[in-house]
Amino acid sequence: MIRPLLVGATGLVLVGAAWALLVAPEEAIQGVPQRIMYVHVPSVITAYVALGVVFVGSVLFLWRRDARWDHLAHAAAELAVLFISMTLISGAIWGKPVWGTWWTWDARLTTTLILWFIYVGYLIVRAWAPGSRGARTAAVIGIVGVLDVPLIHWSAILLRTLHPQPTVLRPEGPALPASMLVPLVVNLAAYLLMFAALLAIRVRQERTLTALVDALEGA
Amino acid sequence: MGFVAAAYLIVTALFAGYALTLVGRQRLIADLAEAAGLQEARR
Repeated sequence: MIRPLLVGATGLVLVGAAWALLVAPEEAIQGVPQRIMYVHVPSVITAYVALGVVFVGSVLFLWRRDARWDHLAHAAAELAVLFISMTLISGAIWGKPVWGTWWTWDARLTTTLILWFIYVGYLIVRAWAPGSRGARTAAVIGIVGVLDVPLIHWSAILLRTLHPQPTVLRPEGPALPASMLVPLVVNLAAYLLMFAALLAIRVRQERTLTALVDALEGA
Repeated sequence: MGFVAAAYLIVTALFAGYALTLVGRQRLIADLAEAAGLQEARR
């Protein structure tokens, strides 16, 4: 089940990249750099989905004390860091030709960087405090850290910022022509599928690893 | 075009890097499974 999922996700990522780079129209004002949108927006939405999984897994772990929920939250947190890293890096590379700077300490960029630090902190806790105590501490960080997501979303709407207003996740619907929206949706589907495949592999590894360590310690 | 190429290359490198960590962890699991099997055999 996991292998076809991974092969399908890889194929869709390649199709999405080819569509974004070769087929999608060039934006009139920004020109070629706007094609970074097809990486940047799917990365951030996938990161939000990963954080949703961390939140649910952490809450259920603290409530039920079932290690399976902890494995899910831990795996999703690793992937959240991966996708937030993609968001920050692709955003910086997009910012340079369009804004004239790689980075600026405006509300949206800063809150996104804080989110990255929170979940890197989560992974540091997992690495340095193994066992149930580390798992409980990480679960609390995982739950509290998600509170930064609405701050990030609303920062571009409520505060003065260089970052543009949301063009996809907005109540009136996406503000993009179909020729750009379709490749964006394809790339988003590809990233979500890749997230699902990597999550499945990582959760299975975590369960196997825990069972083996328990077997070796008990022997 | 250079900025777009850089963005796609870095994202590809991040995906590939994460995939490599999964491969490394899978090898660790295989080593542990072997050790657990040997312990079981000794008993």
